[in-house]
Amino acid sequence: MKLMETSKEILTELLEIAPNLGKTAISRVPYAVPNGFFEGFAERLMNRIHMEAAVYSEPDIGQQNAEDSPLLEIEEIAPLLAGLKNINTYQVPAGYFESLEAKIPALESKPFTAETKQAPVFNLKFVKYAVAACIVALLGTSIFNLTYHKTTDPIKDLATVSDRDMANYLDSDDIHWAPGIANSSASIDFSENDVHDLLSTVSDDELEQYSATLPEEKRNVN
Amino acid sequence: MVEQKSDTELLALFREPATKEKAFTEIVKKYQERLYWHIRRMLVDHEDSNDVMQNVFIRVWNALSGFREDAQLYTWLYRIATNECLTFIDQQKKKASVSLNELESGLSNKIMADRDFDASKLEWKLQLAIQQLPEKQRVVFMLRYYDEMPYDEMSKVLDTSAGALKASYHHAAKKIEDFILNH
Repeated sequence: MKLMETSKEILTELLEIAPNLGKTAISRVPYAVPNGFFEGFAERLMNRIHMEAAVYSEPDIGQQNAEDSPLLEIEEIAPLLAGLKNINTYQVPAGYFESLEAKIPALESKPFTAETKQAPVFNLKFVKYAVAACIVALLGTSIFNLTYHKTTDPIKDLATVSDRDMANYLDSDDIHWAPGIANSSASIDFSENDVHDLLSTVSDDELEQYSATLPEEKRNVN
Repeated sequence: MVEQKSDTELLALFREPATKEKAFTEIVKKYQERLYWHIRRMLVDHEDSNDVMQNVFIRVWNALSGFREDAQLYTWLYRIATNECLTFIDQQKKKASVSLNELESGLSNKIMADRDFDASKLEWKLQLAIQQLPEKQRVVFMLRYYDEMPYDEMSKVLDTSAGALKASYHHAAKKIEDFILNH
């Protein structure tokens, strides 16, 4: 009853707004619907709901099967390859697998055990560190010696010093002659003949000239 | 003739596991034609309408156990159907990267492509005129004109005040009349 009243109200309202929209004439919708569409709709809908419920009730299992099973995966990707999977084209000599154990003595005598030896990780590391430390120490010592303790030939170095510089050096007050050391050194390194040989090429004039340059006390040493 | 059960009775049966499916099937049968035509007038194409109507009833199946009876069932169904239609139209727009105007002209083209289309007949002109309306006015006009829905019920479907709906319907009816008179 209420619907009828509403229907009348709506028609009245429409005629007031747009009199040319004669509701009774054009209210029919002209679209066509396939035959039997509404008759089977509820059943088709329930079938779809059942199917979706079946899928959604086990989503993990379905997904897991597809992802975890290589057979299902290849069936989805390439069904032809899935069918060829179990057809082996290679041939194996008859009884090969049965005789395999006998052909490998190690397998026969020593069955596999889970026991394994652990590599001596600590000792190996220790040796490595020790070798490295030795190399570093050797290199360090060599560099230190080369840097701070240069060993050179003193005779060669003296050859580069001029006579004048040598004379000045010998005259300088920094040198303190210790007769004992001087004597002992001479007695060890030089004999009378050595001195004679050394001075054989020096003329007497040169010796006298040299002697005159020496201080008084040094003249008496020799 | 089997007497049709009321919505309250059907909802009570739906809550019982033993009669849930039977009650739902009856609800579908009771409302399928009204909802179909509401959807069809919005989408024009039958296949689109069929897809959307199935989605509507699947939503109803999933949500009906939580339906509160302070609203009318048919209002709730129209609300879901309208939202599904608008979502579908929105998806079509995004999918085809077309503007709303282009989509409306696409719907008009669908109407004119119908094998029964007759431009001289008023009912076909009316369908073309409806597609010229803005989306909201189109829904309001169809709910009022075809489904004869009172404004207070429409207000629940569209979440809009009855006054605004009245104004919207007024504008829509005038535009449609103008279109029919000028085409």
